[in-house]
Amino acid sequence: MRANILNTVLRTAARPAVAARTARTTPILARYASGHAQESFESFSDRYVKFFQNAEDLFEVQRGLNNCFAHDLVPSPAVVEAAVRAARRVNDYATAVRIFEGVKEKVENKSQYEAYVQELKPLQEELGLSLKDELYPSS
Amino acid sequence: MQALRLARQSTTAVLRTTTPGQRKCLATATVNHTHLGATTSSSASSSSGRIAPIPISNIEAQWEKFSSDEKISVHEQLEVLQQKDWKELSLDEKKAAYYVAFGPHGPRAPTSKPGDGLKIFLSTVALIGAAGVVFLGVLSISPPPPKTMTKEWQEASNERAKEMKLNPITGITSEGYQGKGYVQSK
Repeated sequence: MRANILNTVLRTAARPAVAARTARTTPILARYASGHAQESFESFSDRYVKFFQNAEDLFEVQRGLNNCFAHDLVPSPAVVEAAVRAARRVNDYATAVRIFEGVKEKVENKSQYEAYVQELKPLQEELGLSLKDELYPSS
Repeated sequence: MQALRLARQSTTAVLRTTTPGQRKCLATATVNHTHLGATTSSSASSSSGRIAPIPISNIEAQWEKFSSDEKISVHEQLEVLQQKDWKELSLDEKKAAYYVAFGPHGPRAPTSKPGDGLKIFLSTVALIGAAGVVFLGVLSISPPPPKTMTKEWQEASNERAKEMKLNPITGITSEGYQGKGYVQSK
């Protein structure tokens, strides 16, 4: 009996608050057709640079690369550099070469790829990285 | 192709899990590879079952023929190699590291060989040609078309239809009829 009364009291007490809250938070004329906030390119780059800086093993680096290259954009040179450094940290030369191959796939034309390679030339020289074109010049 | 794959990780994992069972058949597995003659005897005689280091130059040509033990040994060699400063690696070592991880073998093997396109084109042409030969052969032994399939017969049919006033609303004897009536042969 007492529980019942308590219940009613609580419910009546709660109801106006709920009503008020919904009234306050319901936005007027705000219709989110496609729901989610768009991530800007800069925050995407920051996120992946941080990810690759913290990646600890080869699996994680490759998982991050899969995710990073799955978007409809070409990762910025900063992300590529962080990824290559991550590959160096986990001692996987092949993945470092593969990152540049991924960039080559993602860019729209050859000159963009050349620009990426030019941009990252110092990194390549620092790590002693040869790209796939240098390893297999014919193909 | 655009997504980087995890093939290397998974193959090494698989190879490692299968190692104990396959180490047992090491002697028989390596005997098949005569080009490894020197290493075969030493590895077969060693009690631990380890394979002597495999030269990793020109590994592209040999990789498909390696047994899983040899592949494991190459993987281990490359793992150690890649820990060095990459500037010290020779071109062969770099190529081997790349080939073993991402070369066109296993799941990345190309689905068609070079020259396959020409082969497919030529066999398609041959099939169409064979069909044409069969068509002409059947045509040569078939009887001639029936006598009603001549232009004269069909024009006579038209005249007969007009005589009989066939289909006067929309058809052959209607006003201002433009069609060919029964004529279909040339």
